[in-house]
Amino acid sequence: MANTVIGSTIVIDGEINGEEALTIQGTVKGKIALAETLFVENGGTVEADIETQTVTISGQVTGNILAKEKVEIRADGKMVGDIKSPRILIADGASFKGNVDMDV
Amino acid sequence: MGDTRTVIGAATRISGQLEGDEDLTIQGRVDGKIRLTRTLTVEPAGVVVADVDVKDLVVSGVLVGNVTASDSVHLTERGRMVGDINAPRVIIVAGASFRGRVDMGDMDGARAERSAPARRENPAVSSAAALRPAARVEARNAPRPPAAPQRPAIVAAPRPPAPPAKVASGSAAPRPPSAPAPNPSPRAAEPPRVAAGNASAIAGTAAAASPAASWAKKKLKRR
Repeated sequence: MANTVIGSTIVIDGEINGEEALTIQGTVKGKIALAETLFVENGGTVEADIETQTVTISGQVTGNILAKEKVEIRADGKMVGDIKSPRILIADGASFKGNVDMDV
Repeated sequence: MGDTRTVIGAATRISGQLEGDEDLTIQGRVDGKIRLTRTLTVEPAGVVVADVDVKDLVVSGVLVGNVTASDSVHLTERGRMVGDINAPRVIIVAGASFRGRVDMGDMDGARAERSAPARRENPAVSSAAALRPAARVEARNAPRPPAAPQRPAIVAAPRPPAPPAKVASGSAAPRPPSAPAPNPSPRAAEPPRVAAGNASAIAGTAAAASPAASWAKKKLKRR
C-alpha cells in the first residue's frame, strides 16, 4: 500500500518529507510535507501541520491541513484544525473542529 | 496491530526524533535521533545521520552517528558507517567500511581490574574488526612514503638540467644537451645487447655441446 509506514509504537518528533505515500499508525509531531497520500490510520495520532496531495483520516489529527486534491475524514476520524483543499469529505460519525476553505 | 512494522520508504526523509518499540526499516533518510527497543535495519538505499540507541542494528546502507546497541551491531558487506559503536556484540563483515571506535564493554571476568580490561578490550576489538583495516592502511602507507621520495628524486635529477637550459638560452644551448643525452643512452644500451648476444651465443654453444656430449656418451656405451 504505502511505501512508508510509521508503526503503532513509533513516536516521531520532527519533520517528514516525502515523494511517496505515508501511513501513520503511531504518533507524529511536527510537520509533514508529502507529494502523495497521507493515511492517518485508526490509532494513529498526528500533531502537525500537513501539506500533501490527499489526506485520509481514520485516526486523530491536530493541526492545519493544506491538501492540493482532497481531505477525507472517515467515520472514526477526529480532526482539530483548519483545512484548505478543493475537495473535503466528512463522513457520518467523524468529529471535526476548525475552518474549512474549499477555495470557492 | 501486534505485528506492526515501520518502514521509512526510499522517497521519504525524516528529520527529528524517532522513538518506538518495534522493528524499523529505513530505505530513505533519517536525520536526528533514533531510539528503539527492537531492531533498526538500514537498507542499502538508506541513509541515517543520527545518534542511534537500539537493541539490534543492521547496517547495509549508510549510517553516520554514534550507536549504542544493547545486543548487537551488524555491518554487512554493503554497509558504510562512521561513528562510535557501543555494543556487546559487533559484527563487521568483509566489504563493509567503518571508521570510529568500538567498545564491547566489560570482557568476561575482567571486571576486577578496571584499567586492565580496558587495555585488553581494545586489542580484542581490533583483532575482531576495527584495527585490521587500520593495520592494512598503515601497511599500505608504510611502503608508499619511501616510494614517493625515491620517485621525485629520480625525476628531479634529469629535469633540473633541462629547464635551466631552456630558460637560459632557449635556442642553441638546450638542444645540444638534450641531443647528447639520448645518444649516450643507446651507446650505453649497445654493450648490454652485445653481451646478451654473447650470452646467447655461449648458451647456444653450450646447448650444442651438451647434445654432442650425450652423443659421445652413447657412442661410448655402444663400444
